[in-house]
Formats: sequence, structure tokens, C-alpha cells
Amino acid sequence: MTETGAQLFARLEARRCLIDIEPNLFPKDCGPQYGEVVELHGLEGTGKTELLYHLLCRCILPVEAGGMGVEVVFVDTDYSLDMLRLVTILENRLTAGRSTSRPEESYAECSEEAVLRSCLSRLLVVHCGSSSQLLLTLHYLETSLSSRPSLSLLLIDSISAFYWLDRCGGGESVARQEDKLTKCSEFLARLLRDYRITVFATSHAIKRNYKNVATSSWSSSSSCSEYEQPYLCRPWQRLVTHRLLCSRGTAGANMAATACTEKQSRRQVFTVCCNSFSSSSSSKEIKAHKNSSFYVTDGGVVFV
Amino acid sequence: MKPVSASPLSPSVKVKLLNAGFHTSEELLQLKPLQLSKEGGLSLEEALEVQQILSRGVDQPGEGGARIGLTALELLQQEERSIVTFCSQLDTALGGGIPLGRTSEVCGTPGVGKTQLCLQLCIDVQIPECFGGLGGQAVFVDTEGSLVVQRVADMAHAAVQHCSLQDHDSEQQEAMKDFTTENILDHLYLMRCHDYVELLAQVQLLPDFLVRNSKVRLLVIDSLAFPFRRHFEDLSVRTRLLNGLAQQLIQIASQHRVAVVWTNQMTSQVRSGQWELVPALGESWGHSATQRLLLHWSGTQRQASVFKSPSNTERSVPYSVTQHGFRDAPHASPGASGPPRREAPSGGLSGSKRPRMQEGQ
Amino acid sequence: MVVLREGMCPGLDENIVRDLRAANITTVEDLVASDTEELAQKCSLSYMALLAIRRVLLAQHTAFPVSGADLYEELLSSTAIVSTSVPSLDKLLDSGLYTGEITELSGGPGTGKSQVCFAAAVHTAHQLKQSVIYIDTTGGLSASRLLQMLQVQTDHVEEQMEALQRIRVFRVFDIFSLLGCLHTIRCGGLQQASLGGGSVKAVIVDSVSAIISPTLGGKQNEGMSLMMQVAGALKTIAKDFNVAVLVTNHVKRGAGGELQAGLGLSWSHVPRTRLLLERSKSPGPLLGSTRTATLVKSSRQPCHIKAEFDLNWVSGPEEGLLGRKRARDSSDS
Repeated sequence: MTETGAQLFARLEARRCLIDIEPNLFPKDCGPQYGEVVELHGLEGTGKTELLYHLLCRCILPVEAGGMGVEVVFVDTDYSLDMLRLVTILENRLTAGRSTSRPEESYAECSEEAVLRSCLSRLLVVHCGSSSQLLLTLHYLETSLSSRPSLSLLLIDSISAFYWLDRCGGGESVARQEDKLTKCSEFLARLLRDYRITVFATSHAIKRNYKNVATSSWSSSSSCSEYEQPYLCRPWQRLVTHRLLCSRGTAGANMAATACTEKQSRRQVFTVCCNSFSSSSSSKEIKAHKNSSFYVTDGGVVFV
Repeated sequence: MKPVSASPLSPSVKVKLLNAGFHTSEELLQLKPLQLSKEGGLSLEEALEVQQILSRGVDQPGEGGARIGLTALELLQQEERSIVTFCSQLDTALGGGIPLGRTSEVCGTPGVGKTQLCLQLCIDVQIPECFGGLGGQAVFVDTEGSLVVQRVADMAHAAVQHCSLQDHDSEQQEAMKDFTTENILDHLYLMRCHDYVELLAQVQLLPDFLVRNSKVRLLVIDSLAFPFRRHFEDLSVRTRLLNGLAQQLIQIASQHRVAVVWTNQMTSQVRSGQWELVPALGESWGHSATQRLLLHWSGTQRQASVFKSPSNTERSVPYSVTQHGFRDAPHASPGASGPPRREAPSGGLSGSKRPRMQEGQ
Repeated sequence: MVVLREGMCPGLDENIVRDLRAANITTVEDLVASDTEELAQKCSLSYMALLAIRRVLLAQHTAFPVSGADLYEELLSSTAIVSTSVPSLDKLLDSGLYTGEITELSGGPGTGKSQVCFAAAVHTAHQLKQSVIYIDTTGGLSASRLLQMLQVQTDHVEEQMEALQRIRVFRVFDIFSLLGCLHTIRCGGLQQASLGGGSVKAVIVDSVSAIISPTLGGKQNEGMSLMMQVAGALKTIAKDFNVAVLVTNHVKRGAGGELQAGLGLSWSHVPRTRLLLERSKSPGPLLGSTRTATLVKSSRQPCHIKAEFDLNWVSGPEEGLLGRKRARDSSDS
């Protein structure tokens, strides 16, 4: 297919690099570059969603409010996007930004509602119900990418949503089971290369070789490491350049047994361990590493 | 457009169909069997079976209202009757007795009277309708080999005596002719299962049996726990089998208008540093029955506790086991239970027609 | 994978399908992923025709992006909060069950999960005059109990009957029937159910674990796949029809003896909000009608806050007093 000069420009130049999206999270100078993939991995209740919304807000907020003002596509495969929560965080960030910004700045003059709306209009949401729909949707999104130069981030929540459906639908053959995600990964690789976007994706920890799902329990296993193992197909693993492992801090580790006061539990600390890999070689080596922790307030994630 | 992956086909057939590009049952039903076997890579038999299974899903004739459901009002009008226990206080606590169409679990330590209650129910379910009973029959699945027929005969005799003492009108006199110890024993179907495999197989066969013997209103499994408490290395397999069994029993109860009652044993468990007696088969098993009855000793008094019930508040009542069977505790206040001789069948009468509506008003 | 068949879209005739098959292109995915120009040459088809087919097929099978602003607009106009009618639970849930979301009640046997479901159903049907779909997988739904709860709220028999008519009950006892049932609801069952007046505002599944757990265990994927299909169906129903979905789940004890919701890790991500119900620890014997609810998952409220509620309150204060009195009587005797 031919490409006009303007399209080429849109494709390559105008996109904002997200390397400084959250310095608290990524190792120094190792933030997500053009064409890189960040995977957020963790159990239920480890702050993945909050972290994702934090990063999402950072992208769609205007520069004046401490954001980056770029457009984002949210691929919702889990039907999990909580718009009300997202708006709460946005509003809090906007109010905070307003109080610190000088009055002459342009955005402060618009009504709060209008700013909120303009933030939200930078967000495109698409729901997918199966892995083959995901693949076709990614193909379809290519047109959006080529026509919108400020679209810099693709969020997939979650990339592991169809794992079990595909496992079962593929029968005995592992290649068949992984066929669709492999195709998605291969196509994503092309999008990443051609459009220099960044991809953030969540993956849910699962019990892969589970024996006693019906009798055993989740989240309290003596060693958490078995949940940290990547289990998605190799082509996807090869794409990932940053892996964020989310976990709960020590306080209030079990959901019912620990009695926390309201204040303490609000200060539930989540820890994130970020591993950045050198993306060039096929054998992955950890290039840099950073631990950070945060807690969640009404206004979203606050790093400590 | 019903997806193939959600249909009750065998996993391997599903994989073949999905790989051949079939996604909805509609696509599959449109094809001729021969075409389906060719395109789906199935044998002709498999193709025929696939279409048979899927078309059953389309118009499910047997399960009335399964597709559009029933309103709660319709459900209320169909609300099932109950089998009296001959312990008036327990009947009150249960809202009339052991309900048809539901599953009930009776838990207790050995000797507390679980089997006695079950046998009593097997007899009471046969009380003629003109006495306020159900005029039904009973199936007793014995897994422990603990059933003593002489005991059943004694209890049946007592029940017949009980009814014969109050026969008044001609209809009741007529009914009494058939309500004999012999007939009661005749309409109690015994099934002996030696291990869990036999039990599971028996339960598979039960729906057909219940169609053939449509007067059966009670299914007792005494005990359900016993065959499942040994021979399991992988507990997850046990859990799975048990959960599947529970769903089958609920289905039987609901589709054949049968009260399903099973017994469970007690086991000791350390919780917060103390030994306590809890029902066996694990905590999640506790969900399987619609209501749960706990029989236990309180000093020298036997007590029955309604422990889990969607329709009744939890409470404990005393009961006793006499030579006649399962009865009220001797010193239960007569004011609450009425004259002891008449109370059970007539309680059943008033309780069975519209138990809740009258109480509520 | 969607297999290419003639007539799927304009221009895709038998010959083209055959030519594409010869070039190893059998599914829509293959076609979309292939280089159209190369393919046109290989199959000696018109490039423009092939491009048009690709575009139409892609449009048929893709999901379309929606602007966040539009989504928010829609959400503002359609989101409703359905009260559970138990004040302390509503407080934990930030005023009730939100439409578009799955809320889960997990708890051991006899902790009042079904009672809360009944109360929410009755409240929706009677106070809000909206319809409810109640999927009963344990045979535990008791219409007389619903009536009892209604009688506390109103004396008018007619109103009671109307409310009961707004509750549509599906009884399903295996996972395939459940999937079938959810499927019917998705294609039109909701409208059918709402004939009684008012639109469907709540879908209750009591319980999901009873129907899913028999398929889990052992080393096989099918149970997991079916479970995720149930999850997917419930989520789509919640979102697309904008109803509140309430499900019940059983509990497990973790290694440390703490209670955790059942059905394993993969299910744990499914509900947006989760309450854990327990019997309140009382010095007395096992019976008692107070229950403790703990918020263990929420995007709106801090987790681990607790509230107590009385099961008897659900059936009305009057009945509650009576129940308590009876309980005391029997423990005295």
C-alpha cells in the first residue's frame, strides 16, 4: 500500500515518546521507549488496575495538569473498564493541577467538565469478546493508528483474558492453543515497528498446572513465585520489554483474617517490581531493575 | 446464535468443530449430517449425535419453563408440600416438614438418630392424602448396610396405629385398608450401594426409575458421606465427584417433585485451638443441600438444629427417638404442639396446603 | 477463526472462496493478515475487489472503538444503583449494587448469601418496580420466603403479587444449562422477562460456585474454559443491558486458616466488588442471626471495612423480634 508523505510523518515523527510516563515506576532512563511493551502481572487485589488507570490518566490528561496529552486506545477484553473510577481519578488530578497551575494558563479557564471531556475524548475504548475478535480488531485499529498521530499508547486489559478459552478450543496441540495469541503478538510486533507506539498490557496470575483448584486456595500460597512465572506464548514473551510484577505489601496480606482499621487499610501498600529487559537479543537479560511501592487513595495511586 | 464452545458436546468433538470453523450451533444444525461429518472431520455417528444434542438444546421439551423461566408468583403457586417428621416442633421449625423439590442434609454423630429420622420420613411420606399425607412412596439408598427391616416394620406399625386411632369418615376408613405395615414396606424401595462407584451409578439410573415409579416422593441416601470418606488420594477428584452428585440430586428433586434427604457424618476439626465437631466432607460441601439439619446431644436431650435454610430462621428444637420412631421430646410443652395424638397428620394437613401464607398473615 | 464461505459478504462468491483456499487462505483472519496485493496476484483476482472484500469482512468482525467521552456520557445517563435493602451492606457497597458490574457475595453455608439475594430481588421488584432475573442453581429459592419478605413491606396482596411477577426465576442445575440460559437472556430473554412491567435491573445467580465447581478439579481445561465463558456472559449482560449482576460464591480456607472466596485464581478477577459474609462470633451456641460482612474487593471503597447485619432484619423488624424470642425460648427449654 502506498503512503503519502503526511501519513509517513504521522506514522513516525509526531508520536510522543512515553519514556518519562512514570519515573517512579521504571528504572532510570529505562522507561518505555517507542515500540516497547510493558506487561503488568499480578494476582487479584495487587493494585494492577489502579496502576493501569494511573498510567492511563497520565497519558490523557493535558500537559498543564501534569499529563502528556496523548491519545490512548483501551482494548478491554475483560469487560473491566471502570469508567466511574477513571473519572474520579481524572477529576482529582485536574483539581490538583488547577490549584498548582497559574491562572493565566489556558486550561484553567475552561470549565472543569469541558476539560474532563476533552481528556476522555483522547481515550478510545474497544471491547473484544474472543481472541479472534482481538486479532481482527488489532488489524482494524491500524487505520486509527495511521490517521491519528497523537495516538501513542495501546492498552490491553488483559492479554490473558482468552487463555483458558484458547487452551480448551485448541485441543491437544499447544501450537493450536497458542495460535491466536501468537498471531496477535506477531501483528502487534508489526504495529510497534511501523507506528512506534507503546503497548501496556495486564496479565492475570493463574494457577497453571493446578491440581486442586476446587480444594486449594489462591493468594495465600507460601511462595508467590509460581504465580510470577510468565505463561503466555513465546512470541508474546519476546515482545515484552518491561515486566511489572505487582504484589501486596505485607500488611493485610489476607483478605479476611486481618482486621485493619479503616485508615490502615486505606494505606494498604502495594509493591511493584519492574524488570526491564534488553530488547535486542532473543535471549532476555534483565537490563535494569527497580522496586517501588504505592498506596491507593480516592485520587488514585500515590507513590511512597 | 449459541456458541459451540458453550454446548454440552465432548471436548474433543468441540475442538474438531471449532477448528473446522464452526462457531454457532445454528451453523451446525443447518447442515445435513453427511455434510457435517465431511466438513467437521467427524464420523457420521458423531455428526448425528452432535445434531441430536444441539437440537435438544433448541427446544428442550421436557424442562417446562427452563427457557423463559417462571415468575416467582407461578413458583409460589407450585410451591411444594412437605413430609412431616412426626416431631411437631421440628415440623414447625422446618415450616411444615421436609419439603418436596428440595435437598436436605441430616448431619449428626453415630446413634443420634439420623437413620431413624430417615426411616420415619420413608413411612410418613406414605400417609394417605386424606390424612394430610402425600400418599407417596420412598426410595432408600443404603450405603452403610445399617438398615434393619424389623425396625422399619415396627415404626410402620406405629404409624398405622396412629392413623387408625383417628379414622372418621368413610374416605379415611377406605384409605386405612391400604395403609398397612405390609404395604408400607412394599412401597419402600431399597437399594444397597457398597462404594461410591455404585452410588454414583445408582444416582445416574434414578431419574429413569422415578419416571417408572412416579409415586415416589422421597429419596433417602443413608449415608452419603460413608462411601466418600475413604479411597481418595486426590481430594480434588472427590470434591468434583461430590459437587457433581449434589447437582444431580438437586436436579432429581426439582424435576421429579421428590424430597431428597441424605445423611452426613461428623468429624472433628481443630479451629482456633479447640477441637470441635463439624459435618464431614469439607466446608464447601455445606453448600450442597438446600437445608441442613444438625442432630446433636444437648446433655441427655437430643436436639435438632435447622442450620441452613433459605426459608426458615435457624433454631434448635428437642426431639426423641422412641420405639415407635422419631417423635417429640416427651416434656415438650403440649400447648405449643397441640394434642400429641392428632398433631402430626393434622399439622401436616394445615401445613401442607398453604404453610407460609397463613403463618405470615 | 471464522471460515470463509461464499456469500459472507458481497463479492465473495464460490470461485473466489475456492481460489483463496487454493492459496491457503481459509479464514477471515488469514485473509485480513495477508498482503492483499500479493494475494491478488497469486490468485489472479482483482486487487480492488479483494481489497473491498477484506474491508467489509474486517468491518463485520472487528469490534469498534468508542470514544471515552461518549462512553462516559452514556454511563452517566444509564447507571443506576440497586439497593440490597440491607442498610449496612449498602454502606459497604457505596450505596448498593451498581448496574454494569458484577458483585459477589462469598461466604460459608448458612451465612445469609441467599437471604441477601432474596432481599435484593424483593426490593428491586417491589420498591423500584423493576424486573429481576433470578437464576437458581441450588434449588434454594423459596417463593414463600419472598412472599414473607414482601408481606413485611406491604399489606396489599395485589402489590405483593405484582412484585412476585416481576421476579423471573430460571432453575438450572448444570453448567451447560446455565450457559444456555445466559445465552437466551442475551438474545431477547431480557425483554421477555420485563413484560411484567419495568425493565430488568438485576440478574442474580445463586450460586455460581455450585454449578461451576463440579466442572473443576483434575487436570483438564474444559472446566476453566466453561467458567470463563460464564464469566464472559455475565459481564456482557451486565454491561450491554446495564443491569446489576449479583452472584454468590462459596469460601475456602487458605493455608493460614483465613477465608477466601472459592473458584480459584482465574475467577477472582471476575467480580468488580466482593463481600465476604461470616457468622458473627458470638459467645452462644452455633445459632444466631447476626452476620458480619467484609468488603474484600472494591474500586470505590477502602477494602477490609466490616459491617454487621441481622438476617432477621431482612424479613422485617417485627419478624426479627419474634424470631429472636423464639430462639431464646427454645434455648431455655
